Amino acid sequence: MSEKFHAELKTLRTDMLDLARFARNMQCDALKALTNEDTEAAEEVASRKKHIQETTIELEERTYQLIALNQPMAKDMRELACILKIISSAERIGRYGKDIADMVKYLKDQPAFVQPLPIMHMAGLVTGMIDDVIHAFETESIVPIKDFSRRDDTVDSLWHSVFRETLTFMMENPKTITRGTYYIMVARYLERSGDHTCKMAENVHYMVTGKRIEIK
Amino acid sequence: MTEEPIITTHDLNLWYHETHALQSISMSVARNKVTALIGPSGCGKSTLLRCFNRLNDLIDIVKITGEIVFSRRNIHEPGTDVVQLRKRVGMVFQKPNPFPKSVYENVAYGPRVHGIRDPAELDRIVEKSLRDAALWDEVRDRLYNSALGLSGGQQQRLCIARTLAVEPEVILMDEPCSALDPIATSKIEKLIDILKRDYTVIIVTHNMQQAARVSDFTGFMYLGKLVEFGQTNQIFEDPAEDLTENYITGRFG
Repeated sequence: MSEKFHAELKTLRTDMLDLARFARNMQCDALKALTNEDTEAAEEVASRKKHIQETTIELEERTYQLIALNQPMAKDMRELACILKIISSAERIGRYGKDIADMVKYLKDQPAFVQPLPIMHMAGLVTGMIDDVIHAFETESIVPIKDFSRRDDTVDSLWHSVFRETLTFMMENPKTITRGTYYIMVARYLERSGDHTCKMAENVHYMVTGKRIEIK
Repeated sequence: MTEEPIITTHDLNLWYHETHALQSISMSVARNKVTALIGPSGCGKSTLLRCFNRLNDLIDIVKITGEIVFSRRNIHEPGTDVVQLRKRVGMVFQKPNPFPKSVYENVAYGPRVHGIRDPAELDRIVEKSLRDAALWDEVRDRLYNSALGLSGGQQQRLCIARTLAVEPEVILMDEPCSALDPIATSKIEKLIDILKRDYTVIIVTHNMQQAARVSDFTGFMYLGKLVEFGQTNQIFEDPAEDLTENYITGRFG
């Protein structure tokens, strides 16, 4: 019986990792479409929401079933708890990708001004954190998530700097308010994605070590 | 464990002839708590349980070294009254084993052996024990019917009532639910939770979920050794030993 459970758990892990990577790519591709103001690419990214939604529900159901039928203990229990949490966070990150993609069509007709540099820097940092948390889960190691607190602090300060920078543009030229507001929202979504990534890291830490930590 | 433990073992070893069945067991049992012993078949958990009221004395090939301190006295000390010990440390077995007598006589038997003759006093003890074993409402109208007419779950609670009738301090339970259906099992589990207000319970179980549900402390035994002992939530959430982890997650062997 336990072989069957462990085989199913292994497949669930793999599928959850696929979902996390799918969400990460949604966000990356949405940002690319935003930078290039490529509405076609943006629409394609937005259409991936359906997949992420369906997969989230399917994976959650499989997790509940494994719990109900096998009453997992110790590391198995921690792993399933971690999977459940990561599924939610990954779904959120994917949805932020969709939200960013949705903005592209509105930006097209707005007067241009330079996209605040920190946005791309934030995107790079958050993507790196998502990659590392996935790697940490996969290898059951807390090494890749060791400095998440510092990395998240950087993401937070970049968010504040996007906010200030964009606000200055908007005050100088009210015609940039629409575009500026969208940029602020993008930065906010990236900041939220960073927080979700930290939550994932906390859960991976619990799964691997059994100890709860808070990444501030 | 801040309070003084009710039972402590120090370097307890037990041999069946040449077989070293318990190896250097040192553990403490907390008063008014439920302690569960888990482990694969043959790991020594029942043997350890039977040490606590010296039931292993009945097997002549058994040799024991080390100490078991119960209420500050080593129970192997010469002069220990084993009958008194077994009164204070009662036992419930795997299969319900009521005497082929009436419900009433089953419960009154122990107090009678210990010298209580007054019928009113016996009535009081029988009712209290049956109430404490959560059986009174089901048998109050058939106290003088044969105990063998009760269902398995009722028989097991009767055996618990029979144990309670002599007012023990510790109740040892050896797989008390393994012969019962889920409903009867859940009644016994609920009862165990109530019993710990007045008694200390040590339970041996194959059913890990049961250990997790009913106990405050859990000891995991393997090949005669106590591999890990700790608070139940720690053992089942984050065990310290790999062996424990492998056993409770079913990755054994």
